[in-house]
Amino acid sequence: MAEKFDNLEEHLEKFIENIRQLGIIVSDFQPSSQAVLNQKLNFMISGLQDIDKCQKQLHDINVPLEVFEYIDQGRNPQLYTKECLERALARNEQVKGKIDTMTKFKSLLISELSKVFPEEMAKYKDIRGEDGPS
Amino acid sequence: MTEMFSTLFGQNEVQGPPGSSSLGFGPGKPPPPIPQNQVSMAAQMPPQLVDEGPALRKSGAMNEPFYLLRELPVGNELTGNTNLITHYNLEHAYNKFCGKKVKEKLSNFLPELPGMIDCPGTQDGSSLRSLIDKPPVCGNSFSPLTGASLTGFRLHTGPLPEQYRLMHIQPPKKKSKHKHKHHRPQDPLPQETPSDSDPKKKKKKRDDDPDRKKKKKDKKKKKVRITV
Repeated sequence: MAEKFDNLEEHLEKFIENIRQLGIIVSDFQPSSQAVLNQKLNFMISGLQDIDKCQKQLHDINVPLEVFEYIDQGRNPQLYTKECLERALARNEQVKGKIDTMTKFKSLLISELSKVFPEEMAKYKDIRGEDGPS
Repeated sequence: MTEMFSTLFGQNEVQGPPGSSSLGFGPGKPPPPIPQNQVSMAAQMPPQLVDEGPALRKSGAMNEPFYLLRELPVGNELTGNTNLITHYNLEHAYNKFCGKKVKEKLSNFLPELPGMIDCPGTQDGSSLRSLIDKPPVCGNSFSPLTGASLTGFRLHTGPLPEQYRLMHIQPPKKKSKHKHKHHRPQDPLPQETPSDSDPKKKKKKRDDDPDRKKKKKDKKKKKVRITV
């Protein structure tokens, strides 16, 4: 999987470098640079062709739209990954807390009910014992 | 107390008239055994009242004195009780992104990309959002430019006007030994020229700093006080 990204990255880097060199040529143009300019323009088109060919390898890749907002704001997209992991961990801890609280409540309730209704709770435990762990 | 408990989870109203107790849940005495057709009716009735939840246990007689005892839900192996980051083998990723400080700017993620990439994309129309809102025309083939079409790219000699000079603007290099407090100019000129390395010019820069002037004044005042 990393290979198809490497391939695309390589093509993009070459394309960007070509564009940068085009910009340098154009910023202070000389008549002798015309041939080089034409060559760079055709490199640009072939670069676009190569990038277009990479599309087939990456059709199954999904990018979350929130990452685009980070990039548009000039922020590091790795911050999105970091925030996702932090949110997942926080939510995990929250749910674990709820599960632990409910488990404690259940055991407390069963123990108190057993004190008040011993016979009924014994029957209840027998019934639940058939289903599995209570 | 046990009688109240039994009445709360007592059998259906077919057994007898509604009880005269304050709660009105039926007779206080334990109900007689129910015929089988009425047992199946009892089992079928509650699901009509409640749409959700696990199914009732079928044989009501076995569950006495419990009337509305439901099946326990099927346990899920993966719950919030487990650490999902270790479950999905994301510890390395978590330590990489959350253990170390991740730099804020986009140029830290793409250091080799030329141009000012830390600016918001909406300023110069290079936002990715605009690509989604207005997708470009796709599907056409890329054909190289022929001689005739290349005539459109014959340029005039000479430098570009300054307003169009964008390509040479680089973000400030962060790995610099000398930390400058004042703003760096955005001109494409190189930062260090041979004339800048003169010690006289460096001295002038130091003298122009207002903080240094204040400190010098304070030092002079202290010297004057000591001599007096």
